Amino acid sequence: MLQKFRLAAVAALLIGIGSSAHAVDCPVKLGAILPVSGPMGQVGERIAETGLFAVEQFNEAGGVLGCPVEYVLRDTQGQSAVGVDAAKSLVDLDGVQALIGAVSSGVSLPVLTSVAVPSKVVQVSCCSSSESFTALAEEGKTEGYWFRTYATNRSQSAIGAKLTVDSGFENTAVIYVNTDFGVGLAKRFEQDIARLGGSITSMVAYNESQQSYRAEVTKALEGNPDSLYLVAFPVDGATITREWLGLGGTDNLIVNNSLRSDDYFQAVGSKFLQNLQGYDSAQPRLPSVDSFNEMFEARFDSPPNGPGLHSVYDAVTVVLLAMEASGDITGDNIRDNIRLVTSPDGIEVYPGPEGIARAKVLLAEGKTIRYVGATGALSFDRNGDVQAPKMTWKLDGDENVETGYLSTAEVAELIKMLDE
Amino acid sequence: MIGLVSYIVFFLILSLIFGVAVLGLNLQWGFTGLFNAGVAGFTAIGAYTMAILTGPARDAVFGGFELPFVVGLIGAMVASGTGAVVVGLATLKLRHEYLAVATFGIAVTIQLVCLNWEYLTGGTLGLIGIPNPSKAWADGPLAQNAFYLGVVLVVVGLTFVALERIVKSPWGRMLKAIREDDVAAASLGKSPERVRLEAFVLGCMIMGLSGALYVAFIGYVSPWDFLPIVTFQIWTMLIVGGSANNRGAILGALIVWGVWTMSGFVISRVVPSEIQAQGGAMQAVLIGLILVVTLLIRPRGLIGEELHVSRHARS
Repeated sequence: MLQKFRLAAVAALLIGIGSSAHAVDCPVKLGAILPVSGPMGQVGERIAETGLFAVEQFNEAGGVLGCPVEYVLRDTQGQSAVGVDAAKSLVDLDGVQALIGAVSSGVSLPVLTSVAVPSKVVQVSCCSSSESFTALAEEGKTEGYWFRTYATNRSQSAIGAKLTVDSGFENTAVIYVNTDFGVGLAKRFEQDIARLGGSITSMVAYNESQQSYRAEVTKALEGNPDSLYLVAFPVDGATITREWLGLGGTDNLIVNNSLRSDDYFQAVGSKFLQNLQGYDSAQPRLPSVDSFNEMFEARFDSPPNGPGLHSVYDAVTVVLLAMEASGDITGDNIRDNIRLVTSPDGIEVYPGPEGIARAKVLLAEGKTIRYVGATGALSFDRNGDVQAPKMTWKLDGDENVETGYLSTAEVAELIKMLDE
Repeated sequence: MIGLVSYIVFFLILSLIFGVAVLGLNLQWGFTGLFNAGVAGFTAIGAYTMAILTGPARDAVFGGFELPFVVGLIGAMVASGTGAVVVGLATLKLRHEYLAVATFGIAVTIQLVCLNWEYLTGGTLGLIGIPNPSKAWADGPLAQNAFYLGVVLVVVGLTFVALERIVKSPWGRMLKAIREDDVAAASLGKSPERVRLEAFVLGCMIMGLSGALYVAFIGYVSPWDFLPIVTFQIWTMLIVGGSANNRGAILGALIVWGVWTMSGFVISRVVPSEIQAQGGAMQAVLIGLILVVTLLIRPRGLIGEELHVSRHARS
């Protein structure tokens, strides 16, 4: 008798635990896997804090389906095995139905393939730029559980190629940083420029943090290029540019947005960079972006400068809105409802407690909404990627001046044309 | 409850895969006294070989032979063994710290080759879509992981039994003789250089096996999986578990990986969310503290070397 009772109790417990992962029990947990220590620690810590800030704002607006949201942060230490374990532990032990992260693609991808997809949990990254995600999604291997709020390289290479060809350059040398980011961007640029009628004289990869890049620069100078497309970060970028100009390279430079930095301009000297042009995936002209910036400054006493801050805020908010739109919080519902809360023909809602409260009212009325957030209006394509508006700029003396602006729609059109 | 079981299965898979590499290192350091600081490099060779042999075909990247899993495992061992012969011939004349520096440099070199030789390794993008054999045999994540755990257990078991037999054989006693005093061993007509090379190659093959098991489980390989920290983790596992004891090697893998992951879990539960972003530093401190305390209490590791006398010798 007693044994039977015990069995029943265990069964009840099992059923209870089994269902608690899905039904709306308070608090609702949101998992975050970010590198708050290790080589990316400095960047990761600010991203983690901004993620928490987004959760706090959602809670101020009443949380998800009346429950407060608990933000469970796990450190990846920048290591794939640690990140994978942390994600699995969040899914299995904490019962999270959505993961935010990771930062580097080398961690996000193993998490996606070995945890998120098999467990049917949504994964939204703020920062992973690798093209492997798009490739995986196109093969159907992400099963729709993968999203990223970081605008992919796709648009950057497109606008870079357009800028090069529009400036009348015909033979372009390419020097790029040898990381997944740089390689992906440079390869796409090569395709895009061919499509637009330009040509490439050489593609030269460089490894980071070297004293000198003479060999790379000399190789890139072969074939008399009339312009240089440079994908680099400020310190190495400055070394390369100085050697390039010193060895007689043209000063017709097209640079990636990672070089839109005073450190770079000062290290080379602005007066040598008067024919430099660049682009940036940035500030959409929207009140939602300004209001995010203001709220962020009020909370942290510093402006949101730094990689991933805007995009992690949007990643968290979109996931929580999708949870709000789900009666039952499951990975599948979140996956499907992310589309519902970023629907292009939905009613626009903005970041911050008031905007979220309004979004919740609209969702409760059964309306579709369009979240316009810290990175502007998000619209995920079928691979879970987003595009961002672009601007082009140049240097005038020491001043960084804008020379053109392409809205999200124009960027999408350009990419469509290039991909056909 | 199901979640807990599922997590434990997952945890065991990862820690036992580490355990395989620790067994390889144990043969080199524990029994032969070879200071190999390039563990990550040899696991990388095995990992990429697995990915190339069993992965799907890709544009502009070598490989994609879609061969069976077992062929991948054997190929991984052959490739890391071949790498070890080359490395061993070049470096094994070096002793102790010199060997450590040389092998460390080689591991970094291997990682950089993985990063740059796009045609072979996919470069920074890595190789995706490596098949996990359990997908063909089981349905649902828990069943698949349980199946894979079975595969890992078989590999660990076979490796363990083989190593136990090897170290108890005359050849195994020779390893220890060379570790303790190679001049004495040479004076008895043994060839320390040759035996060192044999032990080094065999150990590296086992490390390659570990790398292969890892990528087939994760389904993806990239150069970022083989940073020097991996070498450090595997060394810690061996030292904490107890070097020159194969049981200790596996126990060390379970304990150290357990500390590594549980510390993160505990911090996410205990530390209030406002300061969790600083929790990473606390986790590192916690890991270090537990390891130091373990070694203070058990300086020879949790299970140290067992004293052996040949069963043929008379007492």
